[in-house]
Amino acid sequence: MTGVVKAPGAFAITPHKVSLCILVHTYASPSQISVPFPFSSVSQHNRLGLYLLALTKSCDDILEPKLDQLINQLREIGGLLDDWLTDHVTSRLSSLSAPDDLFNFFNELRETLGGPDSGVMDDDQVILDPNSNLGMFLRRCILAFNLLTFEGICHLLTNIGIYCKEAISSSSYEHRLDDSSNDLESLSEYENMDLNLVFKKINEEMEARKKATEQVSFHLHLPKDLSTLVEDVEVFADTKPEHNEKGGESSSYASGDLLRDVDPDGGVFLRTNWQIQGYLMEQADAIEKHGSSFTFNAFELTLRQLQKLAPEFHRVHFLRYLNNLHHDEYFSALENLHRYFDYSAGTEGFDFVPPAGSNGFGRFEIALLCLGMMQFHFGHPKRALEVLTEAVLVSQQQCNDTCLAYTLAAICNLLSEIGFSTTSGILGSPFSPMTNVGTSLSVQQQLFVLLNGSLKRAESLKLKQLIAANNLALAKFGLTHVQRPLLSFGPKISMKLRTCPIIVCKELRSSYHLISDFCCEGSTMTTDGAFSTAWLKNLQKPMGSLVMSQDNGSGNNSNPFLFFTQPSSIPGSVLQLVGSSYLHRATAWEMYGSAPLARVNALVYATCFADASSSSDAVVVHVKLIQHLAAFRGYKEAFAALKIAEEKFLCASKSRILILKLQLLHERALHRGHLKLAQQVCDELGVLASSVASVDLQLKTEASLRHARTLLAAKQFSQAAAVAHSLFCMCYKFNLQVENATVLLLLAEIHMKSGNAVVGLPYALASLSYCQSFNLDLLKASATLTLAELWLSLGSNHTKTALTLLHGAFPMILGHGGLELCARAYITEAKCYLSDPSFSVSDNPELVLDPLRQAADELQALEYHELMAEAFYLMAIVYGKLGQLQQREEAASSFKNHIVALDHPHDADDPVLS
Amino acid sequence: MSSKESCRNELRTAIRQLSDRCLYSASKWAAEQLVGIEQDPAKFTPSNTRFQRGSSSIRRRFRTNEINSTPPTGVAYVSTPVMEEDEAIHGDFYLLAKSYFDCREYRRAAHVLRDQTGKKSVFLRCYALYLAGEKRKEEETIELEGPLGKSDAVNRELVSVERELSTLSKNNMIDPFGLYLYGLVLKEKGNENLARKVLVESVNSYPWNWSAWSELQSLCTTVDILNSLNLSNHWMKEFFLASVYQELRMHNEALSKYENLQGTFTFSNYLQAQIGKTQYSLREFDQVEVIFEDLLRNDPYRVEDMDTYSNVLYTKEYFSALSYLAHRVIMTDKYRPESCCIIGNYYSLKGLHEKSVMYFRRALKLNKKYLSAWTLMGHEYVEMKNTPAAVDAYRRAVDINPRDYRAWYGLGQAYEMIGMPHYALHYFQKSVFFQPIDSRLWIAMAQCYESEQLHMLEEAIKCYKRAANCNDTEAIALHRLAELHRELGQPEEAAFYYKKDLERMEAEEREGPNTVEALTFLATHYKTQKRFEEAEVYCTRLLDYTGPERETAKSLLRGMRIAQSGFPSMDVEHFHP
Repeated sequence: MTGVVKAPGAFAITPHKVSLCILVHTYASPSQISVPFPFSSVSQHNRLGLYLLALTKSCDDILEPKLDQLINQLREIGGLLDDWLTDHVTSRLSSLSAPDDLFNFFNELRETLGGPDSGVMDDDQVILDPNSNLGMFLRRCILAFNLLTFEGICHLLTNIGIYCKEAISSSSYEHRLDDSSNDLESLSEYENMDLNLVFKKINEEMEARKKATEQVSFHLHLPKDLSTLVEDVEVFADTKPEHNEKGGESSSYASGDLLRDVDPDGGVFLRTNWQIQGYLMEQADAIEKHGSSFTFNAFELTLRQLQKLAPEFHRVHFLRYLNNLHHDEYFSALENLHRYFDYSAGTEGFDFVPPAGSNGFGRFEIALLCLGMMQFHFGHPKRALEVLTEAVLVSQQQCNDTCLAYTLAAICNLLSEIGFSTTSGILGSPFSPMTNVGTSLSVQQQLFVLLNGSLKRAESLKLKQLIAANNLALAKFGLTHVQRPLLSFGPKISMKLRTCPIIVCKELRSSYHLISDFCCEGSTMTTDGAFSTAWLKNLQKPMGSLVMSQDNGSGNNSNPFLFFTQPSSIPGSVLQLVGSSYLHRATAWEMYGSAPLARVNALVYATCFADASSSSDAVVVHVKLIQHLAAFRGYKEAFAALKIAEEKFLCASKSRILILKLQLLHERALHRGHLKLAQQVCDELGVLASSVASVDLQLKTEASLRHARTLLAAKQFSQAAAVAHSLFCMCYKFNLQVENATVLLLLAEIHMKSGNAVVGLPYALASLSYCQSFNLDLLKASATLTLAELWLSLGSNHTKTALTLLHGAFPMILGHGGLELCARAYITEAKCYLSDPSFSVSDNPELVLDPLRQAADELQALEYHELMAEAFYLMAIVYGKLGQLQQREEAASSFKNHIVALDHPHDADDPVLS
Repeated sequence: MSSKESCRNELRTAIRQLSDRCLYSASKWAAEQLVGIEQDPAKFTPSNTRFQRGSSSIRRRFRTNEINSTPPTGVAYVSTPVMEEDEAIHGDFYLLAKSYFDCREYRRAAHVLRDQTGKKSVFLRCYALYLAGEKRKEEETIELEGPLGKSDAVNRELVSVERELSTLSKNNMIDPFGLYLYGLVLKEKGNENLARKVLVESVNSYPWNWSAWSELQSLCTTVDILNSLNLSNHWMKEFFLASVYQELRMHNEALSKYENLQGTFTFSNYLQAQIGKTQYSLREFDQVEVIFEDLLRNDPYRVEDMDTYSNVLYTKEYFSALSYLAHRVIMTDKYRPESCCIIGNYYSLKGLHEKSVMYFRRALKLNKKYLSAWTLMGHEYVEMKNTPAAVDAYRRAVDINPRDYRAWYGLGQAYEMIGMPHYALHYFQKSVFFQPIDSRLWIAMAQCYESEQLHMLEEAIKCYKRAANCNDTEAIALHRLAELHRELGQPEEAAFYYKKDLERMEAEEREGPNTVEALTFLATHYKTQKRFEEAEVYCTRLLDYTGPERETAKSLLRGMRIAQSGFPSMDVEHFHP
C-alpha cells in the first residue's frame, strides 16, 4: 500500500507461461541423445531454443500472446515439426483438467533442470543449466507455482481452460472459412483428434449456459449450433486486442473501453514486470521520437488497460504524461505528472535513482525537474525557471547530485533557447554558490558559467550522456557568442573578441567519445529486450508473404538466424546525441562558410542517424539540404526536393517545412521581380513569427530581414533602411551577433543602391569586422564583395582598390558561395575592368566576356532577371565596342527579354503556390 | 405534501414489498422513516412513542425557525398508485428461494427460480445472481491480488443479467425493481447515461425504493446532470434532492431541504444524522455535537455516520468523549470502517500516530474507497514526517473523489513541508478551487506565496484578501494583510487593514501583541498624515499598555502637541524642564 514500492521482480504464473514451460520441457527433455526425440537436426533444436529465449524477453506489448498466436509463431519456427509442436502443446494443456495434474506437471518440470552439482555429465545429454536464461525462467515458474494458494491453482486451471478455448474457437472459425486450404486441413485433422476432450468440455459448458438462460432469447437470430456459439465467444475475445493495438482512432474510443469492460471470459494476462517496463520504455522513446505523429488514443487505451490490470504500476501515469505532453494537452499532462510523482515519490522507474531511496524522503526533486521541463515545453519559460530553481534547492538539500546536474543542464538549455529576450540577470540567489559570482552578470555570461559548471558536475558523476549533451551545448554557445573574460576591469585584461572554432570543434569531437564508451559498456538490459522484440516481429513478417511469393522467401526465412549478429548495442538516445553532434557540425560549417562540409555533415546525419533521430531533427536536416540545393542548383530542384520532404513529414513539424517553403518562395519572387508576391510571402512569414505560443527570435529576425529586402527590391530605400535599422537595434539588444553582421551588410547594400556609397562604406566595414571576430568566412567574403561594389561606385579612380578586394575574396566565393554570390562577383569584376580607364576592351575581350558569360549561366537557374539583364547589357556594350554586331544584337535582345520579364512578372508555372 | 397518514400508509406497503423482494437496506431505510413520522397527538399511545422521544428539546433549541410542515407552495405531488402484487401461482418456489436468499445462498435461490417467469421471480433471480457475482468478485479480488496491486476482478454475472434485463425492458416486461437492478448493472458496467435513464424510470414508477435513489444520486456528479433529470414530484424526491445537494457541496440548500422534511419526519434518525453531517461541512461544530449526542441517546447502537461525530470530538479535543464513543462502537460492530476510523481518530488525538495509522489501514481494508480514512491517514503520516507515504495516501483520496479539498490541501501541505512551495501551489490551487469559502485554505496558499523561496507578496495579498472575505475565524488574514502592505510600503492600505483588525479584536474582546502593533502603527501613521485627532485617540489607547510602546505613545503625544502649538519642536524640547 502506501509508501511501499513493490518488488519489481514479482512473477505470476499464467497459462502462457505454462505453455512455455511445456515447450521448454520439450526443448530440454532429459534424454541421452544430443538431438532429443522430435527434432531432426541440431539447427531445428537450436531454433526452438532461440525462439523460447526471445519469448521470455520480448517486450512488444503488455499482454501475453494468446495460444493461437503462439501456435502461429510455432508454425514459423517449427518447420516440419510445427504439427507435432502445436499438437503437443495443445494436448498437454488440455490434459490438465484437475489441480492434481498441475502438481504433477510442475514436478515433472523439475526433472528437466540439472541439479546444482550437475557439472559432470555426458556431452550428449541435454540438461538445462539452472542458471541459464531458460533455466531461470523455469525455476521462477516452479517457484511461483509453489507459492500459489489452492484458490490460485483453481484460478490457473480455469484460465488455462479459457486460454485453450479461445484458441480452439478461433481455429475452428478459421477452419470453416478456409475449408479448401490444404495445409490447414491437415492441421485441423490433428487437432480434432486430440482436442476432442476440450471440445466436449466446451459443449457441456454451452449446454449449461443455455439452460440457465433458456427463456431469454438473445440468440434468436442465430442458429443454435456449436460453431456459432463458439463464434459468439470468439468475437468478444478477439476484438479486444484489435482495439488496443491499432484500434480506431476516435470512434472506438468509448466503445473500445466498454468492450474491454464487458469481456468476462477473456483470458487477459500481463507479461512479466520486466517485459512491461521494457515495453513502456520503448513506447516512451517512440513518443519522444515521433512527437505529435504518435498515435494518441491507441496508446491511451493500452495504458488504461494496463492501469486496470495493475493499479499499483505507477509508471503508467508517467507514460500518460509523456503522451499528453507530446500532443500538447497541457492540463492532463500536468495532472498526470503530479499523479505519477505523488504515487511513486519519484523512486519508480528512474534509472539513476540509488537503490532503496536512501533517505526516505522520496525523490521529489525529479518531479520538479520534469515539471520545469514541461512548463518550458509549453512555452512558460519564466514559470519553468521558477520550478527549476526550486529543483536546484531541493536537490541540494537532498544531496542528489545527479538530479542537480540534470537540472543545471535543463536550465542551460532553457537559457540558451529563451534567455536572450530578457536582458537582465534572471537567475536568483540560489545559483550564486554555483556561479561563484554575483548576479550582476549578463544572461550569456551566467549561461556560460552554468554550462561549464554543469559539465564539470557531469564529468565528476560520470554521466556520459549528460557530458555529451553539455559538450554540445558548449559548442553551440561557442558558435554564437564571443568569449570574453568574465570579470574585466583594468587595462591589463586583453579583450579578445573572437569566437573560437577550435574550441567548438573540440567540444563536438569530445561528444563523440560517448559512442565508443557505449560500445564497450553496453546496457544490455534494454537492448536485449528490444532485440528480442524485433526478432519476433521479423518472424511474423514473412508469415503473410511466404505463401504468396516464394521468390523472396529465402531472404526472409534467414531472419531467425540473424539472432547472433546483433546490429548494434547502442541505445537510441546515445545515437540521437551523436547524431545531433553531426547536425551541430553542419550548422557550424554553414556559419563558418564551408558549404561542402556543411552538406557532407548534413548528409551523414540524414543517412546514418535517420532511424534514431527525432522527427524534428530530421526536418532540420532536410531543411538544410534543401536550402543548399536552392543556393547551388537553383529553385527547380529545390522545390522538387521540398515536395518530397513535405510528403515525408506529413504532420510532424509542419511549421519548419512551411517556413522553408515561404523562404524559397520569397527568394524566387525577389529574383523574378514579383514584388507583390514577395511582399505577400513576407507578410505570411511575419504572421508565423508572431505566433501566440512563444516568440521565436530567429524567425522574427528572418521575417523583418526579408521585409527589408523586399522594400529594397521595390526601391523604397528610406523605408528599407528604417526597417533594417530597427532590426539591427533588436539584434544588438538581444546579442544576436551573427544576425548583426548580416543586417549591417544589408544596410550597406541599401545605401549603395540608393546611391549613397559613402554612407554605405562604414556599414560594410562594420559588418566585415563582425564577420572577422566570429569567423564567418563566407559572409565575410560577401561583405568584401559589397565593399568592392561600394568602392567601384565611388568613381573610376577607386577601381584598383575594388579589384584588389574582389580578387582577395574570390577563392572563398568561388569555392563556397552560392550561384547568386558567384554571379555577382563575376559581374562586379567585369564592371571593374570596364570602368578602369587604363583597360581597353579590344586588347583583352575575354577578360571581361568570360566572367559575364559565367554569370549569365549561373543566374539562369535562379531566374534572377535583374542581374541577368545587367550581365547581358554589359555584354552588349562589350560586343558593341568590339564591333561584333550580331553578338551584340543577341545580347541586347536577351537584355530586353529580361527587362520585360522583370517589368511584367507573370505568374505562370507555379506549381508550389497552388 | 401528502398528509402524514398517507405517507405512513405508503411506507408501510413499501416496506412489505421491498423486504419481500429482499431489498433489505431500502426497506430498512423506509422503516426508519416510517417510525420517524410524528404521531398525531390524538392517537398518542405510550407504546407508539417509544421511539419518539420527548427529548427533542435540545434539538428544538437549535431549530432556529420552526418548520412549517407545508411544502413550498405550488408543488403538486403526484400520488403514485401502490403496486398491485401479482403471481400467487408459483408462490411456493418463491418462498423457498427467498429463504435461500435470506441465508445468503444466492446461487441456490437463483436456481430454484430458474423456470419462473413472473416479474417478481425474475427480479429475485437476477438479483440473486447479481449478488452471487458480487460475492464471488470480492473473494476473487483478494485471491487474485497480484504483485502490482489488486487486479480488477469483475462480476461475472453482469453480462448475463444485463442481457436478460435489457431484453425484458425492450419488451416492456419489466417492473420498477427490475429497472433498479438494470440500472445498477449498467452503472457497474460504466454505461452511466443509460443507467441514469433507467433509474429515473424506476423511481418515477416506484419512488419508495431508497436504494434506487441513492444509485441515482451517485450518478449525479454535477448540477447540470441533476437538472437534466426528468423526475416526477413525490415526497421521496425531496430526500433525494437533499442528499444530492449534500454531495455536491451545496450545503445550505441541503440543510433547508432536510429541515423542511423534518416537518413531517420529525423523529427520523436518518434526517438528524444528515443534518449533522451538513452542519459539519458548514463547520458548525457546536451544533453537530448536540445533534449527535441526541442521536446517540435515541439510537445508541448506531455506527453509521458516527465518524463525523468523532471528527467533531477530535477537533474539540474531547479525549474522554471520543474514547467513550470508540468503546461503544467497537462493542457494537468491530469490523465496520466507521468503527476503525473512530479509533484511529482517538489514537491520533492521543498522539499515537503509528497505532492510528494501523486502524485507518484496517478501515481501508474493509472499504478501499473510504475517502476520509485515506485523508486522515495522510494527516497521520504528515505527523510522522513520512512525506512520501502521506502524499501517496492523499493522492489516493483525490483519485477516489477529485473534489475532496481536504486531501488536495494535505498534498499541498506535505509538499510545502519538504521545501517545495512552488510545487505545492498547484495543490493549494486545486483545494481552493473546490472549496473557495474556507479561509484556512486561502491562508495556507498565501503562506505558501509568502515563503522565502517564492516571495510573491502580491499574490499572497490576493489570497489573504479572499481569506478575510470568507469568515476567517482565526483572524490571521487581516493582520497579515496589514503587515504585508506595510512591508511593501503601502501605508494607506496597511492602515485600512490594521483598523479593520482592531475593530475585529474589539468586537471579539481580544487583546494581545497584535493590538499593540496595530495601535502603534495607526498612531504613527496618522501623525505623519497630520491627522492629529485620530492619532491622539490611538496614542491614548496605547497608554493603557505597559512596555516600550507606552513610551513611544508618550513621545508621540508630546511631539503632536508641540506640532499643534505651532512651535518648531526642537525649540520646545530645548526649553522643557
